[in-house]
Amino acid sequence: MAVQSIFVITDKADALAELCYGARKLADQVTAVVFGDRPAAEKAAACGAQTIFYGPVESCRPEDYCKAIAEEVRKVPSALVLLNNSIRCRCIAGTLGAYLNTAVMTCVNEISPEGGRIVCKRTVYGGSAVRSQVFTGAYGVVTAGNGIFGDIDTVFPAADSIAEIPGKPECAVRLVARNEKKGGGANLAAAKRIVDVGRGLAAQEDLDMCRQLASLLGAELGCSRPVAENNKWMPIANYIGLTGVTVKPDLLFSMGVSGQVQHIAGINKSKVIVAVNKDKSAPIFKNADFGLVGDIYKVIPELIKKLS
Amino acid sequence: MKIITCCKIVPDEQEIQVLPGKELDLTKASWKISQYDLNAIEAAKKLSAEIPSTLTALSIGNSNALEGSKIRKDILSRGPDELSLVIDDTHHFSDSLETAGAIATALKNSDGFDLVLCGTGSGDLYSQEVGVQIGALLGIPTVNNVTNIKVKGNALEVERTLEDEIEILEVSIPAVLSVSSDINVPSVPAMKEIMRAGKKPVHILDIALTDAASSVEQLSQLVPEQQERRMEIIEGDNEEAVESLYQFLRKEIL
Ligand SMILES: Cc1cc2nc3c(=O)[nH]c(=O)nc-3n(C[C@H](O)[C@H](O)[C@H](O)COP(=O)(O)OP(=O)(O)OC[C@H]3O[C@@H](n4cnc5c(N)ncnc54)[C@H](O)[C@@H]3O)c2cc1C
Repeated sequence: MAVQSIFVITDKADALAELCYGARKLADQVTAVVFGDRPAAEKAAACGAQTIFYGPVESCRPEDYCKAIAEEVRKVPSALVLLNNSIRCRCIAGTLGAYLNTAVMTCVNEISPEGGRIVCKRTVYGGSAVRSQVFTGAYGVVTAGNGIFGDIDTVFPAADSIAEIPGKPECAVRLVARNEKKGGGANLAAAKRIVDVGRGLAAQEDLDMCRQLASLLGAELGCSRPVAENNKWMPIANYIGLTGVTVKPDLLFSMGVSGQVQHIAGINKSKVIVAVNKDKSAPIFKNADFGLVGDIYKVIPELIKKLS
Repeated sequence: MKIITCCKIVPDEQEIQVLPGKELDLTKASWKISQYDLNAIEAAKKLSAEIPSTLTALSIGNSNALEGSKIRKDILSRGPDELSLVIDDTHHFSDSLETAGAIATALKNSDGFDLVLCGTGSGDLYSQEVGVQIGALLGIPTVNNVTNIKVKGNALEVERTLEDEIEILEVSIPAVLSVSSDINVPSVPAMKEIMRAGKKPVHILDIALTDAASSVEQLSQLVPEQQERRMEIIEGDNEEAVESLYQFLRKEIL
């Protein structure tokens, strides 16, 4: 095995089994850390880890367990800590890394054993390159991109041991309130057809014509990062790209998207890319199968007429 | 309040060239302020409008990135009162701990601070970990993906937006916060600010960084396989052009 021990830490129940499954392929000993009470940990008993630690979070936050978790990790001479790539887990990852004297490799797209070492690949320079790296110290911390270990094809027995994390939580930050956020977006990762809207759209109301076009094409609606983040016209979960969703539809129809590298990184697995942009030199055209240099405000209504 | 905003100078990724061996050539790319650090500078500016503050920008990197006076002025035109630089050519600053360690050292050698602000991640490596690791190394509170900051007496009330919930947190100072890129829209520097920037102080900090080896070794860095595209491009949005688009779509999918 490439590494003796892997600690899997997740704050999303559905990521646990996938990460443990991947960890078992890389290491003999897998320890899972979950946040919640004992019944929650017992529900996860067959996740694939031999040992499960749980940390109750009624009166604290998962981040407060970092010191306690680092102590557990330090009990083995060398280990990899593997987390899902959520905002909270990135905070835990960085803190653990500092305590374990290691950098964090975030959003890793591939983890593979090579000659006794674990090689991790991640995208850098906005999608321009893929960097392969290994940790040089006794410990390493990785957050894994979605779905990198593939479908789970193994049934694991229940964990040998389920116990509360021995160390106590330390609250450096006080939680005053917590609110559910409304509405996630469409399932773009699985969509067969996508209409991809960029900042070429001048007003939020104009999303209506994009929706109409999408529905005529049987497509989901996605967007570039600034449309979701700066304009707040669509949910954050709907933006496509390096730091957003990676899509692989049969057809991606981009409208008013310039095609910066970070956006292309999320769409270049699409089978066919069609682009409309009024700027002839927009980089999107180098990544398109069919491109139309023109105004989306002329093209979309006309196309809607033809498709109706 | 003493606020320090960290900003990284990165190569413009649009200007990175690809060498025949699929390696990158960064030498022709110009330097720019990492996009999401502009949100941290803007957040600091907004706070200083609420309560009297001094605003220092801090950047650490190699001499080729930090020697230019244009980039220094660019940072200073966006709000900071002064700029501190740690220029070091013996480190690559290409792993999160190495960078966080260097910043933590610079902060320990500064004459104190109440709040350190970082962007969500750097435009080149985007680890999104440096702010968190600075806080952990210094043993002070740290929060990532902050979407709002309010000063409440001697503490901060911080809003943090997660994938499916929003936390309101009380954070004592000193603290390190990494702001989300949707916390604000960075303002474009006014002419007056650009003129003033040249007169603001730039301090070159003389700090010995540890020569501890990086915890990460890079094996390779290669351009990913590109999907071949047909690139059938037509110009115009008249009836005829839209008809060819329609015909293309029909052929492909309908
Ligand atoms: C670290 C990092 C990570 C990032 N991650 C992502 C990511 O995951 N996803 C992402 O999308 N971005 C990401 N970005 C941002 C990215 O660099 C670009 O800023 C963004 O993709 C641009 O979005 P856009 O194409 O919608 O907007 P713009 O670049 O503003 O392009 C708008 C385009 O619309 C065209 N246009 C305007 N009006 C019309 C009209 N009437 N008809 C036709 N065309 C019109 C213009 O010619 C222009 O090309 C990231 C950036 C960084 C630094």
